[in-house]
Amino acid sequence: MDEGPSFEEALERLDDIVQTLQRGGLTLEEAVALFEEGMGMARICSQRLDAAELRISQLQADADEDVAPPGGSEMNR
Amino acid sequence: MRVHSVADVNGYIRGLVEGDGLLCDLWVSGEVSNLSESQAGHLYFTLKDGSSQLRCVFFRPRQPVAVESGMAVVVHGRISIYEVSGALQLYVDLVQPEGVGVLHLEFQRLKAALEEEGLFDEARKRPLPRLPRRIGLVTSPGGAVLHDIITIVGRRYPLVELVLAPTPVQGAGAVEGIVAALAALNERDDIDVIVVARGGGSLEELWAFNEEQVARAIYASRVPIVSAVGHETDFTIADFVADVRAPTPSAAAEVAVPHRLELEGHIRLAQRTLASALADDVARRRDGVERAANRLAALLPDIDRHRQRIDELAREVFIRVEGAVALCRERLRGRGLELGSLGPMATLGRGYALVQRTEDGEVVSAVRQVRRGDSIDVRVSDGELRGRVTATKEGLQPWMRDLPSKRH
Repeated sequence: MDEGPSFEEALERLDDIVQTLQRGGLTLEEAVALFEEGMGMARICSQRLDAAELRISQLQADADEDVAPPGGSEMNR
Repeated sequence: MRVHSVADVNGYIRGLVEGDGLLCDLWVSGEVSNLSESQAGHLYFTLKDGSSQLRCVFFRPRQPVAVESGMAVVVHGRISIYEVSGALQLYVDLVQPEGVGVLHLEFQRLKAALEEEGLFDEARKRPLPRLPRRIGLVTSPGGAVLHDIITIVGRRYPLVELVLAPTPVQGAGAVEGIVAALAALNERDDIDVIVVARGGGSLEELWAFNEEQVARAIYASRVPIVSAVGHETDFTIADFVADVRAPTPSAAAEVAVPHRLELEGHIRLAQRTLASALADDVARRRDGVERAANRLAALLPDIDRHRQRIDELAREVFIRVEGAVALCRERLRGRGLELGSLGPMATLGRGYALVQRTEDGEVVSAVRQVRRGDSIDVRVSDGELRGRVTATKEGLQPWMRDLPSKRH
């Protein structure tokens, strides 16, 4: 992942911002800054969703308990 | 060599028997004989088959037990030793007529026991995280179930990582494998939800999910668990203990992750809400400014109005002054006329005459002021004439009575 907030963080921040902005009581500068930040978060959310690729890993089987089937410990689609 | 007491021996046997995993939880089938019921309500009987007998005791059955001598039954219980007589006995807790599948019986027994213990309590069911980051997957590797779950999760919410904890899900090693997989996933601190899944199968094939060890492992899990075993109509003990029961493995994938379309909708809605909230905010401020400007304008003195008022007042003053002057002038004229009418010349104009003694100029207003022979000057409206008094006569003449008398 590149730097910046994760999808979950961006979405949570976005929801927070929506609530704060709806509650009001901000200066115009604050409102505009929050609006811009919120739009940025929404953009990050969309980018993260678009860029996401399902990751699949496998637990390392315990050495003494051989329940793991043959196959790599890491498989990607 | 050591000699043991009977009690020691029986105690030792008891320890051995009660520590045995099989003997503490077993099903036995046989025929009931020597049935008796004690005063206290305990049932005593012998279970026998062709060549063997087993003494059984059922302490205070909660419900009446439909059992009689000669009946073929399946009983559940544990083996222990009755030290008083040295006899090994089966301590029974369930009696069922033979012919009912034993798996079914065990299912009912364990379900009732765990339910009573509180393992199925709704109150302890935990909600699943809305946006899981890592999902533990306890299932058989390489099966259709795994493939389905990967496909569905990948389509709905590719932001997660699936952590596969592979285990056999039926047959030998299944129970131990499932328990170990749950424990291993719980050892990590980054798993948000665990899906325990298995495809459809017979009761025997699904049996591992009806085992008490699996139920207790699910109960003990720190991480919320979604169980998805078999088809929609299959209910396992694991389903009852899990936080969420999904009817199928595919359904489990759907409850475990949100759908990206939902999320995209949510994000779009948030964007629209942000835009309208800011627009509302700006509009509110603009209204505020307008209202303030109006208030300010209302507070300013109205110069034009004052200017007009001054004009009006000035005009009024001018009119009043002019009126007063005219009035004075009018009065003056009136007084002038009045004065004029009072003056002697005006009187002379109307035909009266002013008589003065020539001698001393005294105005003659009474007969006694003159004597016969006196010279008098008579003044009329346009000059004088001089004459002599030739006669006098006092008293008003009858014609004089009609004249206006100004003085006297």
